[in-house]
Amino acid sequence: MIFLADLPAPTRMGDILMAFLSIVFEGAPYILIGTIFSGIIDAFLPAKLLDRVLPKSKVLATLIAGFLGLVFPVCECAVVPVIRRLVQKGLPLSCAVTYMLSAPIMNPIVAISTLTAFKEFTGLSFATAGNATMTIARLSLGYLVAVIVGLVVLRFKPGQVLRHSIANKIAEAAADDGHTHAPAVGFNGKLVHAMRSAMRDFLDTAMYFAIGVAITSAFNTQINQSLLNTVAGNDWLAIPSLMGLAIVLSLCSTSDAFIAAPMTAFSMAAKLAFLVFGPMMDIKLLFMYSSVFQRKVVVSLLIGLFILIGLLSGPWMQLIQSLYHKP
Amino acid sequence: MSGTRTLVHLLSVAMLLLWGGVLLYFYISGRLVNYLPPDGIFRPMVLISGIGLAVLGLFNLLTMGAEDPGCEGHDHGHDDHDHDHKDCDHDHGHEHKHEHGAACDHDHVHHEGCGHDHSHDEPKDCGHDHAKKAGGCGHDHGHTHDHAHAHSHEGHAHGILDESSWPGRIAVLLILAAPLSWAALSSPDRYSPNAIVNKGLYDPNYTDTSRAEQFSLQNKPKTVAKVVDTPPAVSASLPPANVTTTPPPGVNAASAAMADGAKKVNEKDLPKPAQASKSYGSFSLEDLKAQVPQSKDGNFILEVPELYYTGGDVEVQRVLTGQLVETVAQILPEKVNNADGHRLRIFRMLVQCCAADARPYSVPVDFGKKAPEFKDMTWVKVTGKMNYKKEGDQTVPIIEATKVEETTAPENAMIY
Repeated sequence: MIFLADLPAPTRMGDILMAFLSIVFEGAPYILIGTIFSGIIDAFLPAKLLDRVLPKSKVLATLIAGFLGLVFPVCECAVVPVIRRLVQKGLPLSCAVTYMLSAPIMNPIVAISTLTAFKEFTGLSFATAGNATMTIARLSLGYLVAVIVGLVVLRFKPGQVLRHSIANKIAEAAADDGHTHAPAVGFNGKLVHAMRSAMRDFLDTAMYFAIGVAITSAFNTQINQSLLNTVAGNDWLAIPSLMGLAIVLSLCSTSDAFIAAPMTAFSMAAKLAFLVFGPMMDIKLLFMYSSVFQRKVVVSLLIGLFILIGLLSGPWMQLIQSLYHKP
Repeated sequence: MSGTRTLVHLLSVAMLLLWGGVLLYFYISGRLVNYLPPDGIFRPMVLISGIGLAVLGLFNLLTMGAEDPGCEGHDHGHDDHDHDHKDCDHDHGHEHKHEHGAACDHDHVHHEGCGHDHSHDEPKDCGHDHAKKAGGCGHDHGHTHDHAHAHSHEGHAHGILDESSWPGRIAVLLILAAPLSWAALSSPDRYSPNAIVNKGLYDPNYTDTSRAEQFSLQNKPKTVAKVVDTPPAVSASLPPANVTTTPPPGVNAASAAMADGAKKVNEKDLPKPAQASKSYGSFSLEDLKAQVPQSKDGNFILEVPELYYTGGDVEVQRVLTGQLVETVAQILPEKVNNADGHRLRIFRMLVQCCAADARPYSVPVDFGKKAPEFKDMTWVKVTGKMNYKKEGDQTVPIIEATKVEETTAPENAMIY
């Protein structure tokens, strides 16, 4: 145990450093899990497996990709390196984008944390959904938005969306079709390859993560958070302002519900927007997405998601609530 | 493996070891307790991933000489590749002379002036040596091509470090290493008053119910267990909180269970959460004594968040008003309703998932006369009489201090 006397005195800069470290400690383990997973995919997953498993129809495949988070639960830090790899392995881009956006929401860990934070366990059983309004609204809207974005992406070629270095690899893989080459010789060779991929992926992701977390920690400690409360009562401003907060706070999707639940001043619709938008877009993700997508695509994603979720969250919350309170 | 490749590989390993080292240092030194809560998997994950990063780094260091199998036994076919130079519409007329050795060490003979930054998408061990020759091209491109030379091995991961030129690499290394090292070396492990004010010190909402389950004093379900035959799990998970959807805190399992059906209908009709305190069911002095430890002088020992949440519950207020309480907290000047300077504010930081989301829970301390001077953030033990006053639109729990003395920080500076 280190005594406080040994530590520097708290300063404004110290506040930022402290917030920075705490988010790194929270997020880095998941980035590592994601990158080791992506390294293993790279070395051990046969490139054509995805083609065989997924349905031929890309629309159907996209609809299914939105549920993959239930099988491979990852949070948003871990999903970025994973989809980067899956895209290079031949996963259709629309599926990858849908998985990327939905997995941090449509995922059992997030469902449990949302149930817990909003105290929605009461009356929950296999027969009735209890009063899990927020959890159901969050998972369903997350899925819907992810699929919509995935279907929009269907209209574009990978080269228009992905970073050139990644798009080139896909083109290369496609050109390589039919050419049988054994990418790995034995388990040891594959392991070496997997670990090298994991190392590079970790460093790539961690770099963007570090930039995002640095900016977030500055906002988190240097801006008076109560500024947002002044707009909470306004129906028009509440939703965009909570989405703005989600961008700034860059919370992990496994824990953001605990932050949203206490905001009693905000409506359920605004909290829903916070909980759906946050896992799909925030400052750290803005940078992490840049390791996969072209800059203009990341910016379009930011604006598109902001508008889409901003418009949908109000009516969606009403819909879910009305389904619940049907006499 | 060429010199550049080796160096990039070693630097990558160094970055992994740095990140792993910082995680492990904070776990082992115990400083991590100031950053992440003890429950859940947050702290063990730091240990595991610290070890994981160290192992990953060492593995890559030790296998540095190993062949990446993707490199063996096939033709690289450089000649097939079209160097699609988007920025200049002319043929460069490269002469790639590939001499593939056993370890895939090829020499690319480039002509000077082309200024290409060839990032070959190949496993590291296949390091190319780009030897440049003067003359030949005869035009000055004045730009660097940062293109990936897609090779026929699909999917070989090449990170930013591999694909960038040296200025880019140095920038990446700085971003990876500098903020983390700086934070690890100079983080004070606690917030300054500035951050605490920004996180909402002077904007308390005493009717907040977010973590009331954990901190509110209430008619605990222990008396309830024998009244109803609900399974204990149900009564334990009974929600005291969210105003908009669920029964209020303090409603015991019995009444909640009985009124469950009726409540559901009523809840949606509830207006927006009112700022005024509410009744959350009966509460007696016996309940208080049963739940709260007392000092040898008979003072009720309560944490600041517990005092904070009493501001929302009229039944608890009725019992607690006039009682002597004792609490340990940090102190800052009061900025709300303090024209006469009689008050100070004491707070504790409450953490949900990590220190970045810590929020101050605070109550004012009234001295009835000019408040004594304390250095900001001093840890104090406050003894005083509880009182409740309607100020603005909320009921504020106030400690009317009888004694305030400096004390040492508790083991956990933050409450989780």
